[in-house]
Amino acid sequence: MSEHLKVNDLLPFYAAGSLDDARRREVENHLPTCEECLLDLELWAGVSVEIGKSNRLVTAPPALAARALMRVRTRLGLAGACLRTAQLLRAQSFLVQGEIWPASAAVMALGVIVALVSNHVEFVYFIAPLVAAASLTMLFGPANDPAYELVLATPTSPWKVLLARLSLVFGYNLLLSLIASLVLLVTVPPGLLGTLILGWLGPMAFLSALALLLSLWIGTPNAIAIAYILWIAQHVPYKSIGMWMEPLAWEPVVLSYQQFWHSPLLLCTLSILLVGIALWSTNRPAFGLSQRP
Amino acid sequence: MPAAEILLDRSMPIQNTDFDLIQRIAAGDEDALRILYAAYGQRLYAYAIRRTGDRSLADEVVQDSLVAVWQGAPRFRGEGRVIAWLLGIVHHKALNALRGRNVLPLPDGDGVNEPQDPAPSPAERADRREQRRQLLAAMAQLSGEHRTVLDLVFYQGLSLAETAEVCGCPVGTIKSRLAYAKACLRGVLTRLGYSAEELV
Repeated sequence: MSEHLKVNDLLPFYAAGSLDDARRREVENHLPTCEECLLDLELWAGVSVEIGKSNRLVTAPPALAARALMRVRTRLGLAGACLRTAQLLRAQSFLVQGEIWPASAAVMALGVIVALVSNHVEFVYFIAPLVAAASLTMLFGPANDPAYELVLATPTSPWKVLLARLSLVFGYNLLLSLIASLVLLVTVPPGLLGTLILGWLGPMAFLSALALLLSLWIGTPNAIAIAYILWIAQHVPYKSIGMWMEPLAWEPVVLSYQQFWHSPLLLCTLSILLVGIALWSTNRPAFGLSQRP
Repeated sequence: MPAAEILLDRSMPIQNTDFDLIQRIAAGDEDALRILYAAYGQRLYAYAIRRTGDRSLADEVVQDSLVAVWQGAPRFRGEGRVIAWLLGIVHHKALNALRGRNVLPLPDGDGVNEPQDPAPSPAERADRREQRRQLLAAMAQLSGEHRTVLDLVFYQGLSLAETAEVCGCPVGTIKSRLAYAKACLRGVLTRLGYSAEELV
């Protein structure tokens, strides 16, 4: 960058008087040699005077600190905590990427239609964890959050922000999946509703938590790829492949892996653990969260 | 010099004084919050007004910000200036408050009676008023984002990095906004037949 451009960038701060001594001298050495910078400085000086004048006309109400302290005192306790939580959830609902909501609903609706038309209700079981996992990879971090730097500048801890967004998006996906299961009652006997819900609930929770954690550590695309591979791997027809290959020596492993995805209690427990690690990761620069895109 | 220093101990280093104040707030000292507001309230309120364009909304934003300061003080690590941290909170609270509302920024001056400079002659005063009116008209053409950057740089006295931190955007964006503001002001003033040197 030429000296002129460098000094020209400094001129507003020179006019505002916020430069350190070294930079101020740099500007002062350049000014006598540059007509353009002199003109710019005159403009900025005029702006500075006017902005100073207009702001000096504002008078801060003296009682605001007392009112804030009154609020602080009344907010202690359960009601205050609930109010703060509601405010945080509301605020974060605007910061979650807007396309997540319609995209999840559209994919889930498509899944229900396919399940009903093909009479394969298990398609909802297959698709629900995939939808939830994908949406949770886009919750947080410099690549996904347009307000990421702002989030870091506010007094709300990053882990609280992540937890709020996680609750919102996972809750939304849970609701979508429940609605999808209820729609499937058209073809499924009501007695099987519980089994149907348990079928997708555990995998959805685990795959979402895993995808969230991976997205924080290694980025959204990698997290989606790994989560999807892990999920789809259980549906690969290994026995058919075995017709052309040596009998699978690791068949017990495959069976255990498939069984793993049908263990709701284990999956839910692991989900809680993974979410805990993800929340802890938000304050750890070593996991790449502090990097800018 | 931060006003907090005036209210406390003049012999203490600036950053330490402000940081100590935040530490006292973190420890639950209500007087420290009052001193902080006495020191920075004017600047925070002016910024809230600029962002919201509405005095009652600005009241709410500053109150919310002070509550957030109270809650967030234990996490303040003193890595930057306290004023930049405070303005970042006000900026965020103002953004939240503005969601779903359609509030226009207040015009500069806002019709408040302004003390007149007694030195110039009536003719000079009239001429300066006209020049000022033109510059204000030019500044009114700027978007809220550009005007916010000018406020942070010229009234709040923030550095480039601090302005970027408060606005939640990269340093390059702030440079672009300043360049755009300059080009816009110069363009409007040229159209109105003024040159920059006539304004100072």
